[in-house]
Amino acid sequence: MSNAVAEERTSVNNDAGINVKPSHRQPGGPDLTPQTGAGTVGTITVDNPIMSSRDVNVYYGDKHAIKNLSLDIARNQVIAMIGPSGCGKSTYLRCLNRMNDTIESARVTGSITMDGRDIYDRRQDVVQLRARVGMVFQKPNPFPKSIYENVAYGPRIHGLAGDRVELDEIVQTSLGRAGLWDEVKDRLENPGTSLSGGQQQRLCIARTIAINPEVILMDEPCSALDPIATARIEDLIDELRASYTICIVTHSMQQAARVSQRTAYFHLGDLIEVGETDRIFTNPRHKLTEDYITGRFG
Amino acid sequence: MSDATSPPGSRLPETLRDHRKAAETVARGLKSRYRAETRFKLYGLGAVILGMAFLAILFITIISQGWSAFRQSYVQLEIYYDPEILDTDGTRSAESLAQADFSALIKASLRKLFPDVDGRPNLRQLYGLVSSSAGFDLQKRIADDPAKLGSTETVWFLASDELDQYYKGRIELDETEESRPLSDQQLVWADQLRARGAAELRFNRVFFTAGDSREPELAGVWGAVAGSFFTLLVTLFLSFPIGVAAAIYLEEFARRNRWTDLIEVNINNLAAVPSIVFGLLGLAVFINFFGLPRSAPLVGGLVLTLMTLPTIIIASRAALKAVPPSIREAALGMGASQIQMVAHHVLPLAMPGMLTGTIIGMARALGESAPLLMIGMVAFIVDVPKGFLDPSTALPVQVFIWADVPERAFVERTSGAIIVLLAFLIVMNGLAVVLRNRFERRW
Repeated sequence: MSNAVAEERTSVNNDAGINVKPSHRQPGGPDLTPQTGAGTVGTITVDNPIMSSRDVNVYYGDKHAIKNLSLDIARNQVIAMIGPSGCGKSTYLRCLNRMNDTIESARVTGSITMDGRDIYDRRQDVVQLRARVGMVFQKPNPFPKSIYENVAYGPRIHGLAGDRVELDEIVQTSLGRAGLWDEVKDRLENPGTSLSGGQQQRLCIARTIAINPEVILMDEPCSALDPIATARIEDLIDELRASYTICIVTHSMQQAARVSQRTAYFHLGDLIEVGETDRIFTNPRHKLTEDYITGRFG
Repeated sequence: MSDATSPPGSRLPETLRDHRKAAETVARGLKSRYRAETRFKLYGLGAVILGMAFLAILFITIISQGWSAFRQSYVQLEIYYDPEILDTDGTRSAESLAQADFSALIKASLRKLFPDVDGRPNLRQLYGLVSSSAGFDLQKRIADDPAKLGSTETVWFLASDELDQYYKGRIELDETEESRPLSDQQLVWADQLRARGAAELRFNRVFFTAGDSREPELAGVWGAVAGSFFTLLVTLFLSFPIGVAAAIYLEEFARRNRWTDLIEVNINNLAAVPSIVFGLLGLAVFINFFGLPRSAPLVGGLVLTLMTLPTIIIASRAALKAVPPSIREAALGMGASQIQMVAHHVLPLAMPGMLTGTIIGMARALGESAPLLMIGMVAFIVDVPKGFLDPSTALPVQVFIWADVPERAFVERTSGAIIVLLAFLIVMNGLAVVLRNRFERRW
């Protein structure tokens, strides 16, 4: 984009927050100065965060996908990550539950901690991490099993239900919380793939909350759905906020405005700006943020 | 993004400038395009018809030659259980009964049927109308019921294989007497027997219950069927788990480096190695080094396992690769470990493809004779094998042996054995297709 010159409006914010300058150089290592030459605008820290990232860099082979990212995630809040295609929001999301481990060429440096413990530590059990940080994917991907089995799979492998009665309760509660119970209670033995797109995505959300994670990551959960299904899921996200922390990646700014309390704007691998959703959309401080929000590009 | 100005001096083709010109050109070309498509369809249809024609020729040839093997001629004789021949010392003891000369009773009965025959050569020809096993039949009858001593009963006996071939019309009457297995007067007697109703064709139970034999009328395919069955059982129970496990490891768990590439190349090559090489390997390793018994289905199964493993591994890997990554990600995202993801989600979806690969491998193993020849399953085995270590032979090897034997009656039996082999194959494939459909329907 030849006309998007990176300008910084104000580099120091006036709230009681800290503008962290990323470390540009590791001892003996390469220069990791981000291309924009400036740090993130806005408050990246919060009180008592559930997850914290500091100086995170992600490489896919030689491609530098995430550049020196630092961000806190607040408890029981919805944080939306927005930005144009290929800016690294999904990549960052997948770092939070180590799904990037499945990609052979991916390399992650820096620290990401959950409740103070580094999740990339050698001693961290990735299975345990994914039981605490669940994920809902862009295209609904229910297992090719019955609806009951889809929701019961997680509790079963993690041993969360003592007996069949408890398992039935977990399934019913999860489907209820996902807003699907009334629609499927008579056909729990039907395959999960027999549901409509919106119902399948709610089924995926139900199976994620069946294991009672602390954080739910959602990677563009509504992009494959029609507006009515989208609205239902957005309502659901609002209800889930009371019990879970939610990080949602979205292409739609309207959705981010409706659903989240904090918003983070990514651009070409950098975290450009982060802050309260209302403020970001009414009074963005960085020029790139403003250009994106007003539709100049992306 | 459209650049309206073209470089100076160039001209766009007419079909790109003018809508109607483009439409007319398309319309003109349609006829030859459709003709080419029809030609292609005809080629395809012709290929299918050619293939089906060869298949039909194969089936018609084999069935027309082999179906008569399922029928056998029997001769009816009146047997007098002469105590003077059977019970020479008058004790009616079991040993003396067992050792008596039963063929004498048969000969007496034949002489009674044709009283005009005399002279040793003629009598020998007369006696040659009935199978040599007839005496043993009588021995069994008396042993079962010694009270028959002194009585008379009519018994049906197996006809000799030459008589059987004549009744089935396989002996040309215009052959000279020297080249025929039956002499002129034997033919006369044969016709007389048939006219009296003392000779008839029945279902050939012996073929399906007996093992191999020098006498064609006593030879059966059951020994080979049992041998093939045991061998394939060993092959299936070894190659399926090992092949599937190897494919899962190579596809899901092993890192991609030069070693795994080398392994993949080697497995692909092994799938194309001539099967007799595996026979040599089996001979050297299983029989020489480990000292396992020769001709045993266990060794045959081990050799065939080596042969079918590459096929199963390759088909299973392809089936695993075809499982969509979204399912894997969903499982991993729920906190399933790698093994749980593979076992609970990937394997059920890949199972139909794996079963198909196994079917193909088993079908090939059923029809292989070269590796089995090398480990000794080509011997003349009379007894039907009852276990994995009993000496046995396999169906294709039995066909191979019988194809070389000179008696005319073995020609139809060879084709009969081929029919049994094909039936075995169809049943196996049908079973596997049913299994595969069950897996596919459940998901």
